[in-house]
Amino acid sequence: MKLKASIEHKPNIPTASMADIAFLLIIFFMLTITFEVDKTQVQLPKTTLRYEIPKKAAYVSVDPNGRIRVSDGNSQSSLVSAADEVLSMAATVIATDPQKTFVVKSDGDVPWEKVDEVLDALKRAKVRDLRLLSDQRTVDDL
Amino acid sequence: MRIERDRPDDEIPTSSMADIAFLLIVFFMVTTTFTATRGLDFALPEDDDNPPVIEKEESVLIEIFPGGNLVVDQNPMKLGEIIEYLKPKLERNPKKPVIIRPDVATEYRHMVEVYDELRQGEEHGLSEPINISVPTQREIQSFWY
Repeated sequence: MKLKASIEHKPNIPTASMADIAFLLIIFFMLTITFEVDKTQVQLPKTTLRYEIPKKAAYVSVDPNGRIRVSDGNSQSSLVSAADEVLSMAATVIATDPQKTFVVKSDGDVPWEKVDEVLDALKRAKVRDLRLLSDQRTVDDL
Repeated sequence: MRIERDRPDDEIPTSSMADIAFLLIVFFMVTTTFTATRGLDFALPEDDDNPPVIEKEESVLIEIFPGGNLVVDQNPMKLGEIIEYLKPKLERNPKKPVIIRPDVATEYRHMVEVYDELRQGEEHGLSEPINISVPTQREIQSFWY
């Protein structure tokens, strides 16, 4: 009697759903990605209270050397020479969107004088929604 | 005799799909920077041409000097003591303005520390949020002197 040849099983890992998972992750990253408009490296002050800052906010950053950079929230931040330029930028932004959120991202060791100039400029530009960017204060900081 | 016919493959080759997808994932993971997008809201007083006149005696003045040394109404004080000092005053008049006035050379983080502390007044047992005011140098010069 002739023996039936055993059915040959091809080793096969089911990879069909792998792409689904991968694309799901891609969509997640694409939705959550926020493009940083300001890449200034600063040591932020630490606070206990911290609230979420809306996306697309305009940024004014002050680096440890007191240099000021501004961004309207859409384009990368650019260096300005004086606080008066902050005023003109803020006034332009506020003219198109009076409720625009402004974020002050300043290094914690910058003298108050410098931040004061920036706040004064923003105040004169009639900015209504202003946030001070900060890091979380933890028990170790106390 | 059975004729062996070359059957065309009816499958879509999807094995490389995952490679492409993971490549994209790696790209997004590398380019995503988790940045601090949280902070304190800072209420700017209305830039009014005729601001309400506040007598110095009616308010509490917190001066901050370089290094974070605090002077509250001419008394040197530690950060943790401010709320206790303010409590009896604010119970009498919850709207009493508390003015933060950092020295020009004071590091910004000390001002933020004091502001953060005052914002937590309700957690420390006060009935209403503290009426905090941080005048800018221009305002101090034009209205106080």
